[in-house]
Amino acid sequence: MPTDPLSVTFRALADPTRRAMMARLARGEASMLELARPFKISQPAISKHVKVLEKSGLIVRRSLAQQRFCKLRAKPIEDAMDWMETQRKLLEGQMDKFEDYLKEIQKKGKKHAHS
Amino acid sequence: MPTRSSEVIPSSPREIVITRVLDAPRELVWEAWTDPKQVAQWWGPVGFTATVHEMEVKPGGIWRLTMHGPDGADYPSESVFSEVVKPERIVFALRGGKEGAPESRIEMTWTFEDQGAMTRVTIRQVYPTAEARDHMATTYGAIEGGKQTLGRLAEHLTK
Repeated sequence: MPTDPLSVTFRALADPTRRAMMARLARGEASMLELARPFKISQPAISKHVKVLEKSGLIVRRSLAQQRFCKLRAKPIEDAMDWMETQRKLLEGQMDKFEDYLKEIQKKGKKHAHS
Repeated sequence: MPTRSSEVIPSSPREIVITRVLDAPRELVWEAWTDPKQVAQWWGPVGFTATVHEMEVKPGGIWRLTMHGPDGADYPSESVFSEVVKPERIVFALRGGKEGAPESRIEMTWTFEDQGAMTRVTIRQVYPTAEARDHMATTYGAIEGGKQTLGRLAEHLTK
């Protein structure tokens, strides 16, 4: 399995529960209890998902007043989004070229029709 | 006034989808996509030109082309069409990349929806494996990407 940062990030995000957790954390820090609340899965399963996110560097955990809190780390997410943005730009460029080409042939077609 | 930007549809991390309404009837769009002579004139990222060696647009048909990059490098590729539904949908698996560099594998789906005199074109690009995606990143990695905010990520993840 590739261990470069981008692959690690995408693997961590390749699970709907973990994506939902990340979406919650994108709104701000949350306690483990809060983070687990929306899910109908066991406590050990929740811990496992949180551990994956932590090991992947997507979140950090800290203890405060006997409670554990999770917080999102922006860097890996930004890197992944940058990569997706690059891919999106490539596709946009492809779409631009297709659009320009279609415009051009329609202009030519009209010219022929008039001559 | 139609804008030049596409809608980006949030999708899984291995998949990128964009859609745009183009000012051309669907028959014309289909022709431009399936005629090898025309494809050579618009295929590839901005700044690239393309040579089509072989293109048989039918299920199981082979499509070989070489893209010529702005840096002078060649990007040969070979695709196999898996679905060709005139004039709605084309699906193919592409193998290729910069000459000498490891190959990328991508699955692409193009759909064309009739909107009167116009056509909604949607491109869905899927990387079959994480490795394929990483090759893509290496091949085109030099192209600058924009920064995204965490707010947009939240949006992206909840959909």
